[in-house]
Amino acid sequence: MLVYSLLAGLLFGLYFSLIGLGLNLVFGVMRIVNLAHGDFLMLGAFLAFWLFTLISLNPIPAIFIVFVVFAIVGLPLYYLLVPRLLRAKDPEMLSFILFFGLSQVIEALATIAFGTSERSIPGGELGRAIVAVASLLTGHHVENGPVDIFGQTFPAAWVASGIASGIAVLLVYVYLYRTRLGYLTRAVMVHREEAIATGINVHRVSAIAFGIGLGLASVAGVFAPFMLGSITPAMGVEVTVTSFTVIVIGSLGKPLGTLLGGIIYGVSYMFMQSYYSSWANLLPYVLLVAILLVRPSGLLGRQVRRA
Amino acid sequence: MPKMLHHVTLILLPVVAAFAILPTVYSNHLLLFNFMIFIMLAQGVNVIYGFTGYLPFGYVGFFGAGAYGFSLMVIHLQASPLVALAAGAAAAVVLGLTLTPLFRLSGAYFSIANLAAALAVFQVVSNPNLESLTKGPYGISLSGVFDPTFAYGATLAILGATLGLVIYLRNSRFGMALQAIREDSISAGMAGINVVRERIIAWLLSALIAGLAGSVFAWYVSVFYPETVFSGEFTIFAIVFALFGGNGTVIGPILGVVILYGIYNAVGISTPQYFQLIYGALIMLLVLFLPNGLVSLLRQWGINVP
Amino acid sequence: MTRHAIFAGLIASVISVATTAPAGDAPKEISLGTLYASSGRFASISMPVHYGLKLWIDQKNAEGGVFVKAFNKKIPLKLVAYDDQSNTATAATLYNQLITQDKVDILIADSGSVLTSVAVPIARDHKMLLINQTGTGATFFTPDNPYIVLMADPVSSVWPKPLADFITHDGPHLGIKRVAILYATNDFTGTQANAVRKFIKESNSDVDIVFDQGIPTETSSYTVLLNNIKASNPDAVIHLGYASNDIAFLRNVQDSGIKFNFVFCIYPGLETELLEKNVGSKGLNYVFTYVPSSQIAYQSQFGMSLNEYEAAWQQKYGNTNVEFGFNSVAGYTTGLVLEKALAAATSLDQLELRKAIFSLSGNLKTLDGTFALDEAGAQIGEITPLGQLIAEGDHVKFVTVWPHDVSTGKPIYPRP
Repeated sequence: MLVYSLLAGLLFGLYFSLIGLGLNLVFGVMRIVNLAHGDFLMLGAFLAFWLFTLISLNPIPAIFIVFVVFAIVGLPLYYLLVPRLLRAKDPEMLSFILFFGLSQVIEALATIAFGTSERSIPGGELGRAIVAVASLLTGHHVENGPVDIFGQTFPAAWVASGIASGIAVLLVYVYLYRTRLGYLTRAVMVHREEAIATGINVHRVSAIAFGIGLGLASVAGVFAPFMLGSITPAMGVEVTVTSFTVIVIGSLGKPLGTLLGGIIYGVSYMFMQSYYSSWANLLPYVLLVAILLVRPSGLLGRQVRRA
Repeated sequence: MPKMLHHVTLILLPVVAAFAILPTVYSNHLLLFNFMIFIMLAQGVNVIYGFTGYLPFGYVGFFGAGAYGFSLMVIHLQASPLVALAAGAAAAVVLGLTLTPLFRLSGAYFSIANLAAALAVFQVVSNPNLESLTKGPYGISLSGVFDPTFAYGATLAILGATLGLVIYLRNSRFGMALQAIREDSISAGMAGINVVRERIIAWLLSALIAGLAGSVFAWYVSVFYPETVFSGEFTIFAIVFALFGGNGTVIGPILGVVILYGIYNAVGISTPQYFQLIYGALIMLLVLFLPNGLVSLLRQWGINVP
Repeated sequence: MTRHAIFAGLIASVISVATTAPAGDAPKEISLGTLYASSGRFASISMPVHYGLKLWIDQKNAEGGVFVKAFNKKIPLKLVAYDDQSNTATAATLYNQLITQDKVDILIADSGSVLTSVAVPIARDHKMLLINQTGTGATFFTPDNPYIVLMADPVSSVWPKPLADFITHDGPHLGIKRVAILYATNDFTGTQANAVRKFIKESNSDVDIVFDQGIPTETSSYTVLLNNIKASNPDAVIHLGYASNDIAFLRNVQDSGIKFNFVFCIYPGLETELLEKNVGSKGLNYVFTYVPSSQIAYQSQFGMSLNEYEAAWQQKYGNTNVEFGFNSVAGYTTGLVLEKALAAATSLDQLELRKAIFSLSGNLKTLDGTFALDEAGAQIGEITPLGQLIAEGDHVKFVTVWPHDVSTGKPIYPRP
């Protein structure tokens, strides 16, 4: 039971790292609290669902389409909302409320368009992709079904999303630390005013980061029907709060921090489910408050404005 | 002093009188009651956000603490309603005290932590393991104290006290000190204001208001699930109403509640499907175009707003 | 002589007019006040109930109204309905509105325990009888509150009896000795879990409960829980949760490759179409569940039969996205009970209506089964039998297995 919880927690936690990744980027770069993060995840999930239902597109290739769509959506959305917001006296607080409003608008539109019932994509679909890859790598046909890791069985979907999360974290890391755009992004993250002073087009960098952030959220959404059971327009809010826990644990602005935060969250949650199941939902909140009080800069440490 | 008296007669008395008289002509008392609750909550947010600049995104935690404080006193100790009201208020203040370490955090971190703390309280209260104490997720059903008239009257009194408090803040040195802290806490500290202490007092006052509101809510409705009194909607509505009307003033939150909550009930009853959409869009437009609330418009036209 | 005659004649005519005139003037219409949730988490159980009620109302009005014994004539029905959007505070205000502003004659609750709960004290305070459609929370029904009656679902403390009886009576013969219970901690499923536990413990069978855990209602990840359940080696697994819990549970069972001999879930029975879409017929194969009245053609002695009702529903609502099922039957059943009650009550007084409704207990057989109430107004009739689902292509069909007098086949245990 212990080993199973540990491994399950790792996989589950990796998925939450993916969810937190986009939020981390957005908050780190713009100091904007995107309370609509979970709702973009929901939209990504629905897009994947419709792609599957209408043109039988497997979720794995759908990931790329979903990412591109929402990254592109992010750019005009940024220019529409953020510059005005930043001119106000207290942009951080107002961003809370602004993006909350956005989250309500998105949820309302989704409810009107899709209705309130639950939707899912059959679990076997992700398995097919793994089977295809595994067959290629091992040279012989692999069965589509649960996957064995160290003697414990897990749904194929969990393994697939774990791998995808790992890849996503890696890609973000490469973007931030190995590309020029990423370099500029990190500059803006550290000190916005100075970045402007050195001639960086802060709005452009931020807009791109925002787009990537939304894209990542929607990619996490593609895996949502498999990791979270079923999708409905109202699922966004809870996801947002949990993703905050993940990024706060791991410290802002660092993709590896989010990875760590997700894993810690996942493992603790699975342990709670095994031993204190009815208290399991208390965990993210207690973790969040505890970390903020004990080590507000997160486990990987980074300077945080103090009152 | 005379200014305060001025404000009391111009604002406090008419509002309380209105809510005292309206039940005689409009029989949906529960709606009037809800208006009063939201005015109180918006003023509570006003005290902490308008005066000190911290946004309590977990404000409903105090409301729920008050509701459960009241209910537990009635259920376990068969307390009379007024005693239970005091207990509910105390519960909220104690919760506020427990959360004061959060002030070490700034801006968004404070708000997120506050939200998490409120959700944590909710999870604890609604946990089935505590069923014998709090009735867990199965909800509270108070019998024996059901007295809507008395509860309504108590609400009137609490409303008056709340408005009185905000008027005091608006016109006193304490209130000015708070606003100084909001603008620039470092300079305020240098000017001799005890930043930490004043802030905590404001925070506890704000918690007290929400706690009283929660207690009297539990008294009035007498049947509720944990989700009802810990619903994020209370926080959101209170913040939006306060924001819409304008923070840091007395009539701002009142205006916000009367207009927006009024619209909510009118629209809600007639075209509900699009309700969430309208409300969400309204919030966005508000933040983008009128971040300082309606009273900022009035100020622009030269009217001095209390 | 003539003056006496005229006088006598006058008196006689006055007396005859007085005794044949109705108790006060007959109202132009009977107003029914109710709420529904068009959005939010209760919309999927609220809209079908509401539509079912509306179907009954429209049908009656097409016939000129419903017969009201108090005024000895048919009076048309007027529906006053508001949307509470699944929000309890809004619902409370709206219930109050219905009573104090709209002054409805009959107050009908929204669907489900949560949205009904706020109405209970309000109705009681205003001394209006609450027509509770599907709010099965056992705490609503106390001996000191006469202002509530449950129409269409059995009360939660009684609902799981067929399940418990099957396990304790037929179970041991099939080899079921160890039972695992996993339930979501909320009023609806928590009460059912308590009931199952109680029925199993009180029976004198060899059945033991080897796993008994409550989880938050928002749980959507069951993988670790399933692993723990498997570790306790149960013969039967009972999962009591809402539709989204059932969906996640059954999907996780399928994806993790774990085989349980016996699995019970509530919602494959109550919202079959939704579960078929999300879990698939393969995932539902051999799953045990409640058999709702929308699957069994009960002998209905009053009102439309199941087939007739379903046809009428499809005609009226076939092109909307509100699904036909258990809940749509509930709304129609409410109408049927009201129809019978109005035809028996001597006035529109609330307690008089209650008396009339109680007089139907045990005697009214509709497409929902037999209507039966206990003294506090809780529904103890309209029981849903236990059945097993067998996959047929993309859909599943029901095989009723308990009680034996309504069973249509033998249960398949253990799961192949």
